[in-house]
Amino acid sequence: MKIAPTMPQRAGGAIGHHARVPLLQLRSLAKSFADTAVFSGVCLDIDRGEFVALVGESGVGKSTLLNCIAGLESPDAGSVSLDGVDVPALDESARARLRRERLGFVFQAFHVLPHLSVEENVALPLLLRRRPDAARVAEVLDAVGLAGLGRRLPAQLSGGQLQRVAIARAVVHAPALILADEPTGNLDPATAERVLSVLVAQVREAGAACLLVTHSQAAAARADRVLRLTPSGIDARLAVAD
Amino acid sequence: MPPSLWRLSWREWQHHPWRHGMALLTVALGVALAYSVHLINVSALAEFSSAVRAANGDPDLSLRAAQHSFDDALFERVAAAPGVALASPLVEVDTTARSARHARLAIDVLGIDALSIAAMAPQLLPHPAGGEDRFAVLDPHALFLNPRARELLGVADGDSVELRAGARWLALRVAGSVAAPGPPLAVLDIAGAQAGFDLPGRLTRIDVRLAAGADPRAVADALALPATVRVLPADDAEQRLSNLSRAYRVNLTVLALVALFVGAFLVFSVVSLSLAQRTPGFALLGVLGMTARERRGLLLGECALLGLAGSLLGLLLGAALAALALRWLAGDLGGGYFPGIAPRLRVGVGSALVFALLGTASALVGGWLPARRAEAIAPAQALKGLGDAGVRAAPLWPGALLLATGVLLAFAPAVGGLPLAAYASVAALLFGGVALVPAAVQLLLDALPAVQRALPLLAMRRARFQRQTASAAVAGVVASLALSVALTVMVASFRGGVADWLDQVLPADLYARTAASSAASEQAWLPPGFAERAAALPGVQRVAASRVRPLQLSPTRPAVALIARPLPQPAQQLPLLQAPLAAPSGEIGVYASEAAAALYALQPGRTLQLPLRGRDGAAVTVRVLGVWRDYARQFGAIAIDLDAYRRLSGDARINDLALWLQPGAGVAEVQTRLRALAGDAGLLEFAATPELRARSLAIFDRSFAVTYYLQAVAIAIGLVGVAASISAQVLARRKEFGLLAHLGLTRREVIAVVAGEAAAWLAAGTAIGLALGLAVSVVLVHVVNPQSFHWTMRLLLPWPPLLALCAAVLVAGIATAAFSARAAASRAALLAVKEDW
Repeated sequence: MKIAPTMPQRAGGAIGHHARVPLLQLRSLAKSFADTAVFSGVCLDIDRGEFVALVGESGVGKSTLLNCIAGLESPDAGSVSLDGVDVPALDESARARLRRERLGFVFQAFHVLPHLSVEENVALPLLLRRRPDAARVAEVLDAVGLAGLGRRLPAQLSGGQLQRVAIARAVVHAPALILADEPTGNLDPATAERVLSVLVAQVREAGAACLLVTHSQAAAARADRVLRLTPSGIDARLAVAD
Repeated sequence: MPPSLWRLSWREWQHHPWRHGMALLTVALGVALAYSVHLINVSALAEFSSAVRAANGDPDLSLRAAQHSFDDALFERVAAAPGVALASPLVEVDTTARSARHARLAIDVLGIDALSIAAMAPQLLPHPAGGEDRFAVLDPHALFLNPRARELLGVADGDSVELRAGARWLALRVAGSVAAPGPPLAVLDIAGAQAGFDLPGRLTRIDVRLAAGADPRAVADALALPATVRVLPADDAEQRLSNLSRAYRVNLTVLALVALFVGAFLVFSVVSLSLAQRTPGFALLGVLGMTARERRGLLLGECALLGLAGSLLGLLLGAALAALALRWLAGDLGGGYFPGIAPRLRVGVGSALVFALLGTASALVGGWLPARRAEAIAPAQALKGLGDAGVRAAPLWPGALLLATGVLLAFAPAVGGLPLAAYASVAALLFGGVALVPAAVQLLLDALPAVQRALPLLAMRRARFQRQTASAAVAGVVASLALSVALTVMVASFRGGVADWLDQVLPADLYARTAASSAASEQAWLPPGFAERAAALPGVQRVAASRVRPLQLSPTRPAVALIARPLPQPAQQLPLLQAPLAAPSGEIGVYASEAAAALYALQPGRTLQLPLRGRDGAAVTVRVLGVWRDYARQFGAIAIDLDAYRRLSGDARINDLALWLQPGAGVAEVQTRLRALAGDAGLLEFAATPELRARSLAIFDRSFAVTYYLQAVAIAIGLVGVAASISAQVLARRKEFGLLAHLGLTRREVIAVVAGEAAAWLAAGTAIGLALGLAVSVVLVHVVNPQSFHWTMRLLLPWPPLLALCAAVLVAGIATAAFSARAAASRAALLAVKEDW
């Protein structure tokens, strides 16, 4: 699989030329399912604070790539380094802890737990780290425009509000990297734009890097870099143009 | 409904074979247990009835002595009466037999007229052995045994057999056999029986075959029989046997239905959760045109098919179980109603159909509520994921109403001698309790303090949020635990009652008796003065003698046991329910057992006519002074002071001895001296009190062994329900578990969350099951037992085993849930969060 830049890079430095070690490094990453290659030879660097969009057709392996980065899947070849940690080398418990500490997730289908209140949903990452912080939760809810709705149940919120809850949950514990898998896919254009603005603002505010998988050109346009996964055979490589 | 829609059901079953297969097996198991118990009882009853018919022959009428016997002069009058085609005289005696190997065997002895018996009861016709004279049937010293008696006594033709006749043994020669099946039976010439058993000129029965067209009632009226003779219809013995054992058979069958009952809850669990998974599919079908009634019909149809398939499998299993049980247990499941027979399995189409319907009905009952929920699905909303068929809060009033109904039904009287209202009470209590599980979950969780840790928070919140689903998940556990608790309490109460009763009715150190039953005691008594001589033996401190004999109080009921013994202090000597009344001056007082009091309305203060005087049993009036607890004689017993009995009856015989020993005296030595005193090693049976107590409790434990098995089966079914529910939930919540994995929960932590939810539901379910079980036990102890068997007991709550049972169920349930939740942390769960997988 090949990733090629589709849009001019934004100001901020040539892609790939970094003075310090990138936050995320993928080298010659390869993954197959039942003798079917999904991708191979994938190389990618993402810096701290960088907002990268990943576009591509459905079924091309974007979510699989995210899973490999998050330690939810083990690549068949290559390496994944997150903040200097070799992710595939970790055992299952260590990967889970890594996700708790360093990663945040936003999904297309929101995935807000229906039996927890809004503030409990947002607080989950903090509770998992055994560091409850009600003030931080309130701060983040306020930042995403949901102040005062902390006691409500998800069933009482709109789609846009639910996605903002998911964004708040993704940033509340100040992760190093946020993985967003088509976060505006279930939203109307106007709501999607507002949610995207919140996501971008919170990513910038937290100083986190973000890898955004999207079909939306508008969403991709908000990124510092846009990369494309294209089906070009099993020898295709993920390329990052300078 | 279009047949093509059944494809949907078939796909569902193919997709979840284990879940539906488990529900099918549960129905099969329930039907198998209940059907096997029914077949065993039916086969045993049929075999026993067949034996009774063989022994009784085929008369149109049977004239029987009200007490003991009647003058045989009546026979000539009966035989010559208009309308009588054939009359056959008989002498019937219950006694004890022994062979050269000194085996003691309770045996029925029939003295027959060989000339008339062939036409009346062909299976009683003696068949002389080869080498015997052809007139051996008329030899008063010749005995003819049925197969069972031969087998148990271990004798062959020509051997000697002794029959107990009062204070002596009657030595007879085995001269052949009779074909009559059933319990041990001996036949000899009627003259020999009259002479041998001290019944000269007496008969106990005349069987009558009427002439064609003769009216039985008219013939009986015309005979103008004395009061000492009663007329019974031909099938009276069979009917009486059926009635005697009916309560026992019904109770045992109802007990066996426990598994089927619990199985209905499992079906409820499986179908409820299947519905939760298929809601989007049903919603789509609704949008495409499937009506609400068709949705309901589809689910109910699935349940009916599942129930029918399970029932058919259950019938086969049940017949196999019954065949095995008849071979090993010979038809006696512990009640002792059908002793000494080896019944063949009798399978009837009618009963098979009934149990097939019961199994199908249990599946339909289990699937009814889910089917109604399927009917109530709002298709458009459900497609958006906004309608959840299982989350809507159920009102409390149905559960509360069922509980109240259960309480009220417990106060209803028996119907036809059966505690049918009590059974309905138990069912109402169980259903009501299950319906209140969601409310109990809420109460339990509200009582817990707020948590700030992720795993408990996730588990408790989810458990509370989905508490309506808790009913489906733990219904089987609640029902099975409640029934197990109830049975445990009932058995413990009963056993405790029996143990206390034994302590009270067995105050002596050693007991000796001449016969094993009150009926046989008429032919076995001790020599005059034996009790006094026994009291003088070294090692014996004192002796209390008693006379035990049958007494017919009603022609339609079995005889009660009359126990005449010294009663200077009845309040201390008998386990009276209340303080006894004082006997009015000049009156004789008696004490009725609970069964006698229930069957004959013998409340304290009532007078009673006892047929005690003379051979014909002329009545004497006595007054009931109290009622005592008796677990040994289900058909009733009456205790009377020995001296009073002797004055009233003139009968100075004694059957039993209770011996108090000197301190330090050995039981074995005293037994040896008593045997030597009797001069006949086989005259007396001995039992030391500890041995008697242990033997009685062992019989009790064996009688209730089947309940322990049924409890284990019921709880296993309940746990299977938990596994099925949790597994289905895990499948339905894949996306949620995938999210938790993304957030950083390890596999073990995800499983712990699921187990935590299950623990909350199971804790509520266990608490409800325990409370329900205690309530049901009150019904069993204070309603079912008295109405069925006419005995009462104190309610005893064995807390250690009850709490251990609850803890075991809770732990097993949580472990089952954790095991079933392994898929929650699988790759499929991870992938489920992605819209494009």
